[in-house]
Amino acid sequence: MQNKIHLDEEQMPRRWYNIQADLPSPLDPPLNPKTGKPATPGDLSAIFPMELIRQEMASERFIDIPEEVMDILRIWRPSPLYRARRLEQHLKTPAKIYYKYEGLSPAGSHKPNTAVPQAFYNREAGIERLATETGAGQWGSALAFATAHFEMECTVYMVRASYDQKPYRKLMMQVWGAECHPSPTNLTASGRAVLERDPDTPGSLGIAISEAVEDAATHANTNYSLGSVLNHVCLHQTVIGLEAREQLASIEEYPDVVIGCVGGGSNFAGTAFPFAGDKLKGSHPDVDIIGVEPAACPTLTKGLYAYDYGDEAGLTPMLMMYTLGHDFVPPAIHAGGLRYHGDSPLVSRLVRDGVARAVSVYQNEVFDAAQTFARTEGIIPAPEAAHAIRTAIDVALECRKTGEAKTILFNNSGHGHFDLTSYEAYYAGRLPDYDYPEDLIRDALSRLPKVA
Amino acid sequence: MNVPAFRKIGVVVNPVAGLGGRVGLKGTDGLAARALALGAEPLAPRRAAQAIGPLSGSGVEFVTASGFMGEFSLREAGILDLYCLYEPDDPSSADDTRAVCRAFLAAGADLILFCGGDGTARDVADAVGTAIPILGIPAGVKMYSSVFALDPGAVSRIILTEGPPHLTDAEVIDVNEEAYRGGEFQTELHAVVRTPSAPGLVQAAKQVFEEADEERARNAIGAFIADAMRPNVLYVLGPGTTTAAITDKLGLGKTLLGFDAVLDGRLIGTDLTESDLLALLDHHPEARLVLSVIGAQGFILGRGTQVCSPEVLSRIGIDRLIMIATPGKLARTPLLHVDTGDSVLDRAVGKFVRVITGYGTAQRKPVGLIGDDPIEPCHEESRLAWKKEG
Repeated sequence: MQNKIHLDEEQMPRRWYNIQADLPSPLDPPLNPKTGKPATPGDLSAIFPMELIRQEMASERFIDIPEEVMDILRIWRPSPLYRARRLEQHLKTPAKIYYKYEGLSPAGSHKPNTAVPQAFYNREAGIERLATETGAGQWGSALAFATAHFEMECTVYMVRASYDQKPYRKLMMQVWGAECHPSPTNLTASGRAVLERDPDTPGSLGIAISEAVEDAATHANTNYSLGSVLNHVCLHQTVIGLEAREQLASIEEYPDVVIGCVGGGSNFAGTAFPFAGDKLKGSHPDVDIIGVEPAACPTLTKGLYAYDYGDEAGLTPMLMMYTLGHDFVPPAIHAGGLRYHGDSPLVSRLVRDGVARAVSVYQNEVFDAAQTFARTEGIIPAPEAAHAIRTAIDVALECRKTGEAKTILFNNSGHGHFDLTSYEAYYAGRLPDYDYPEDLIRDALSRLPKVA
Repeated sequence: MNVPAFRKIGVVVNPVAGLGGRVGLKGTDGLAARALALGAEPLAPRRAAQAIGPLSGSGVEFVTASGFMGEFSLREAGILDLYCLYEPDDPSSADDTRAVCRAFLAAGADLILFCGGDGTARDVADAVGTAIPILGIPAGVKMYSSVFALDPGAVSRIILTEGPPHLTDAEVIDVNEEAYRGGEFQTELHAVVRTPSAPGLVQAAKQVFEEADEERARNAIGAFIADAMRPNVLYVLGPGTTTAAITDKLGLGKTLLGFDAVLDGRLIGTDLTESDLLALLDHHPEARLVLSVIGAQGFILGRGTQVCSPEVLSRIGIDRLIMIATPGKLARTPLLHVDTGDSVLDRAVGKFVRVITGYGTAQRKPVGLIGDDPIEPCHEESRLAWKKEG
């Protein structure tokens, strides 16, 4: 029996899938934070190249992947689709579990799928340097890898707490030639302002975003690059789902359930959008699409569908999305990549329309699932990816009860080799199960003055 | 060698601490002679010596009581620089413990290191309150108070920490030994004292980074609950410094060791008894009960908390319970214990309790009953194959 379903390099998708083409009505536009009016391409051109701004707003169904980008993606793509047969046997489930494995990229996650085209389009626009932020370092290392291939410079503002405690990711960035600074730095006005207030601050993603955006806005040769949330990022990630659909078709399968973890939403989008498109077009109306988020930061399950800022300081355009409020600081869960107050507007829209649904899970049960997966399938998953595994196992166990032989597809978005200290905390019983006190937050918000 | 965080330490040993446990007496209060007659060996002096041994040569100055109440332990630990400022009676008693602690205060000690259990902690707390920090070397039968080092070895690590000491509030818990021997478990918050802690010893570095400051966490919890208070709803606030952060935020006072009630931002009852509370509930049936996790063993509802009787809990509604605790406290508390005195109510609490830990943040903690083992991973697939590995 086959364990892996491979595609040849020639079978790699040549076009990204743009789900905006199949939405029943257009997405609500991003709003300029100062005027409250829909943002124009000009609002974004200070920090993004025109081709990415065009993709952000594009309405055509497919967008060609440039050959130079294909050439680099071929280092690890197409990624394998695995049948998790040992996991199925362990669970004694009649369900068939398949997973896409994105941990084989040089940076170890799905992030290079968008880092490479973003670097490419910026270099085509004459940009010599990219600035970005990173929390635990997944995105920063992916962009460092991508810029190295286009002989660009790369400056990464890494949240200081992670910089001090997770040395390996910053060393990867150094190997690929990027500069990595512990944020806040004294290189930017926003960083200096924070340091003046609190010299010992551990930093935050919100501060790091502000520094990277400021760096890009104040240097003519520099643009900003974002690793999730935005439409063009989701677009670039659709290679995951497009490949998976091909791979499953080659063995005459189509999933009943598609699962991915959700932080900003890009790996979930990349996995699910091709299937969500089939659902929207009516060819597979029953496919169950599930985004899995941490109970500590339950944006899709408990957030509000509203316009909100993408960053803490309120500098970015306002996006229509599920949000817990831009000032919500998620607890320090080990799946750092899922600590985001908002969500991709596209993913949010699909959840609001009922095309996809969301569940939330607790940290310890996520690591239970990660351990089960590692002991059956061998791969030690990143804590983020383990959220998807948790729900895949839950669906498979449900099948054991009902006797249904569902076909489950989930995205294993990365390996956990640099996250082993979080496994250590799990084994030591030091992993809190963070929760979101929705009722009390509602009570607290009801006392605030209403803002029009 | 690190510079010790404390320069002059008062050491007091309860020589009979722990005796009762060895012979099944569930505590030693008033029963030391009987325990000795049953063949119990005094262990506390030796445990104290083990804990203090690593401090010899550290430059710390020691003051103590003569004989078994401290002097012998310090000599066994190899401490040369010691001064006996108190002569206890023979046999020594709780009065001696209190008197020697007052003498430590007068001599300018900056920490009291005591060896014993909850009863000893109670006596030390009675004598010094929050004037100077206290730290327990665990040697008692019952150690539910949160003033004890994890083990004797942790004592020197806490004291030899570089830089200024990191102090936190800690609860001294009273367990009624008479009732406990009769099979009933009654706990009460006896006092709140200051104790040194070394967060690195009990917490992941990442947590320390983002959640370090207990004081900041308490203020955040206080602000969140204060903001979430609804009009026309009675808020009953239990004992402790974490609930006091709520009244601080509202600009009200709080009975540290008792129950108070807040309605529409006003304090409408202080140090309430059960019947006071039932009378208030007659007029204000819509109520919330705000309780903090108390002591080292994670009690949220102790049978002996007279005010929180099963009747009060049923009237308010067990789903109207708001638990609060700082992240540091929860990190040291693997399980929460629920014991309302009514098994139906206990079951209504469920397998997990949500605890508010900051502004808009919470943790879900597993619930255990007194004496239960820690809970196993909750998922079915984790139990399928590798439980045998332990």
